[in-house]
Amino acid sequence: MLVFQELPKKDTTIISTNYNYHDDIIFFLNNNAEVITKDKKYYINGIPQPLLKEFNLLDLLSKPKLTKQDELKLTILSSLDYQKNIFVFVNVLTFLDYEFKMHIINFLKLNKKIIVNYTTDIEETLFLDYLIVIHNQEIIIEGNTKSVLKEEKIFKKLGLNLPFILDLSIGLKYYNLVNKVYFDAESLVNDLWK
Amino acid sequence: MRIIDTKTPGFIYGLMGNINLTTNHHNCSIVSDYKFKNDIASYLNSPKALNSLKMVLLDESYLTKTVQDLTESDIIKVNLAQALIANKDYLFLEYFDKYLTYLENEEFKRLFKKISQDYHKTIILYTNDLTYLWSIAKEIIYVDNKEIIHTFNNKDFKILDYVENPPISKFITLIKNKNIKISDYKTTPELLKAIYRIKEE
Repeated sequence: MLVFQELPKKDTTIISTNYNYHDDIIFFLNNNAEVITKDKKYYINGIPQPLLKEFNLLDLLSKPKLTKQDELKLTILSSLDYQKNIFVFVNVLTFLDYEFKMHIINFLKLNKKIIVNYTTDIEETLFLDYLIVIHNQEIIIEGNTKSVLKEEKIFKKLGLNLPFILDLSIGLKYYNLVNKVYFDAESLVNDLWK
Repeated sequence: MRIIDTKTPGFIYGLMGNINLTTNHHNCSIVSDYKFKNDIASYLNSPKALNSLKMVLLDESYLTKTVQDLTESDIIKVNLAQALIANKDYLFLEYFDKYLTYLENEEFKRLFKKISQDYHKTIILYTNDLTYLWSIAKEIIYVDNKEIIHTFNNKDFKILDYVENPPISKFITLIKNKNIKISDYKTTPELLKAIYRIKEE
């Protein structure tokens, strides 16, 4: 199955249950997108030092043995080919720390690149504005992330949970402590304690 | 460093930190997303293959499949099936939770509890998701530079000073920053009740 019939024009998260990415990877590779998988090789000497410095990874140059997490970060940095317009992450961000994930997402957004993030981590759905949900190799629902995430029953039926902040605010709404659902923590705390 | 030498057998432990899992211990299996060759029947190569596949929520139709036919989730489940057949006393699982849905993770938690309690296996779950470990692990081991820095009892919130805080803890920190007195919690229902109590006071 292919999620996209043509190249996406906006940042998109694809959250899936037991999805086979093979066809999608081939589609993106054939269409000159930068595809980042866990198995992709990295070339540390090909990463400009200012980029390593920006992502606080300069110390990796002298680290005797890199871990898989270190290598994954270097794989991502060595994939930042500025000629490419679309960057596809195939279930890789979930293995990394939040700070690095947000840094790379913001970096790509700043450089006007389109991000496609395949993930199984529900919290990552909040990173991008468009969301596609796949179950058993079939698109179940897609659209604006906030609208899709409000379909709580569909997520439960598929065995998925909701992002923490949405789950909490649904509970608070039930207790009449707030009158809407929230997608970011600061707004919720600020509205609870004005 | 030998984590298994320091832990009482027959329990589920969490493991966090920036490390590579390796072992040369004869009584230990590591379950990862290892991409095996040939079909699953050949890889498992045991009369127990079908039973093991069923334990990891796969059926007999998988026996003839190869890695190319499988999703990442299937691959790590097959590797768990292989480890169950090997029947070692120590089982390390590398980011196992990251390949599964919420519901599947709940089902596998039941399996891990069963094999640790009924068969006295020691399970060590390596992940970066503290919420997941809080829900199942007796203790959480934090490792850095190949050294065990600290072992935290499941009820010890001091671990938050060492590892990436889960969304619930980040949220509680935001509340504390408003000078609101609130304890630390691990689950959304607990936090929900706490907020309700605070707002009612």
